[in-house]
Amino acid sequence: MSQTSHTLAAGGDNPRPAGGVQGPQRRLRLAAYPSLLAMPALLLLIAAMGYPLLTVTLRSFSDPAWGMQNYVWFFSTPVNVTVLWRTFSIAAWVTIVCVIAAYPYAYLMTAVGPRMRLVLILCVLVPFWVSGVVRTLAWVILLQDSGIINSLIRLLGFDSVKLIRTQTGVVIGMAQVLLPFMILPLYSVMRGIDLRLVQAARSLGARPSLAFLQIYLPLSLPGVFAGAIIVFILSLGFYITPALLGGPRSTMLSTLVQSQVLSLLNWGRGGAMGVVLLVATFMLLALAAPLMRQRHKQASRS
Amino acid sequence: MGSRSIVSGLVGAAALALISAAAAHAQSAPPAGTVVDGSLKGKTLTFVSYGGIYQDGQVAALKEFVDKSGVKLLNDGPTEIAKLQAQVESGNVTWDVVDTDDFPPFVHCGKLFQKLDLTKLDVSHIPAGQVGECSVPAMNYGTVLMYKTATYKDNPPKDWKDFFDTKKFPGTRAIDGSGSPIGGLIEQAILADGGSVDNMTPADIDKGIAKIKAIGPDTIFWKTGAESQQLAESGEADMIIMWTGRAMTAVKNGAAYTPVWKDWLVVMDQLTIPVGAKDTDASYALINAYLGKKSQEVLTEQTSYSPINTEAQPKVDASVAAFLTNTPEHAKQGYQQNIKFWVANFAIASDKWTALMAGN
Repeated sequence: MSQTSHTLAAGGDNPRPAGGVQGPQRRLRLAAYPSLLAMPALLLLIAAMGYPLLTVTLRSFSDPAWGMQNYVWFFSTPVNVTVLWRTFSIAAWVTIVCVIAAYPYAYLMTAVGPRMRLVLILCVLVPFWVSGVVRTLAWVILLQDSGIINSLIRLLGFDSVKLIRTQTGVVIGMAQVLLPFMILPLYSVMRGIDLRLVQAARSLGARPSLAFLQIYLPLSLPGVFAGAIIVFILSLGFYITPALLGGPRSTMLSTLVQSQVLSLLNWGRGGAMGVVLLVATFMLLALAAPLMRQRHKQASRS
Repeated sequence: MGSRSIVSGLVGAAALALISAAAAHAQSAPPAGTVVDGSLKGKTLTFVSYGGIYQDGQVAALKEFVDKSGVKLLNDGPTEIAKLQAQVESGNVTWDVVDTDDFPPFVHCGKLFQKLDLTKLDVSHIPAGQVGECSVPAMNYGTVLMYKTATYKDNPPKDWKDFFDTKKFPGTRAIDGSGSPIGGLIEQAILADGGSVDNMTPADIDKGIAKIKAIGPDTIFWKTGAESQQLAESGEADMIIMWTGRAMTAVKNGAAYTPVWKDWLVVMDQLTIPVGAKDTDASYALINAYLGKKSQEVLTEQTSYSPINTEAQPKVDASVAAFLTNTPEHAKQGYQQNIKFWVANFAIASDKWTALMAGN
């Protein structure tokens, strides 16, 4: 950790402009307005995110007439509320599955030699480069009642399990698609953990499990939180996977938005659904933020 | 409507006499399929449809039109009414002819789709009752009940009543959940429930949807035609409601399913011209060529969908012919949904249908 921050700071002090005499001046200006460095990203965000978001929000209040009617409609229609709740619960399940699957994997990546690590990284990245639709269709073939998993289960003499068109199937498919977003932040944090700390704990008499729980786990938590937030938020907007792997009882909000906008041309209602989802997500993150900060402090204190 | 549109057609034709020589000297349109040599040289038309084998077939059907008229044909898709709405509202319409599914041309007639000037089109060979105020059919097909032959052996389902009867005919059902409510299916559900579809009210929609819901929680709502085909080929469901094109392909690929033709649901795609299209006369010329006998034969031979020119005699092999909806035997068993009712109640029906899809 300290090493990375060191190099970062060095890079920041050292912009090394190419323009000879004018160099110092430019350097001064950049130093005075470090926020300029964020300009390209900021402009892109405003153009590609801010403006459309503003339009969507405006339309949710103005389409077909000014007022709150789209929001009244949203909360007075039972199916919307059910599906909103379901969207959050599926996202939470996906996050949990991702943490459980990614944690040992990311740890393994830090523990093996460089060649093995490359193999492990490729195992994460190669599926990441394959289109999500293709991967989801592959899951259809694996999960369906006459699919490979169920054939195996039947071969072993058990009753077949309903996987496709259930919430379980959706969670499995989404977790696989989102796993890299959990593994990579976890790995980058775990790589920075000084394993001598665990050795120190052991040498002071802690059992391995205790050393893990009190030393390693708290130090790796920032990675868990970073990954969990990315996975959770990406899950909320999933469309293709629940549509293909899910049944009626695993429809997520994006599907309802799609039908309001694309088949009914109710841009206002679709916008209201998007805004509700966004606000609900912000509220949840605001609730979770102090919790995370607390954990951080504990970790650094110990 | 007749005399007024003829007058306006004449006025328009006079003004555009140079461009479309054919329309100029006739109260009635040039026969479907006619293309004037070099008439659209230097022009570009954007044709929008649903891609895949279907749009390929449509392009093949339009090949003669493109070659003769000299037009440059661009393809876009898939059709999304929301995209079209954005184009119309911003006044920058880049689509010239748009293929849509059943309802949109009726729901948005005059707002997103132009009212068609029938003096510019020869609709005399289109099957009866299929020409709308804003649309002509693009092709005909059916939504048909396919049952797994092995499941029902000697006692197969014979009609929609059996489809809804889960006691006598146990097994998983798969329903078209790809988008708009399936009006014909809701009507059949109302009938199976002992109701009547003569004077339907929105309350009847609830009854129909409740009947569909009563099939049980294992019901599959497939989202794409490809998915329905996959369900059949892997034998995932015992009864599948399928589009005839997909049913044909699935059977060709070895799916052991049998169609029930009694009251198969008549469906059509529509051809439309968006409001604000850049060159309306060129759009009309394309549609008129598309409606021609030869074009329709090509379309059917390439796609297995039924032609909408009654004179067309496509040469197809037996496996395709088995799923054509315009053979005399199939044609007389088709069930036409009450388009007027579903268009008038489109928003209510869609909301209820969406709720059914979302498991509520």
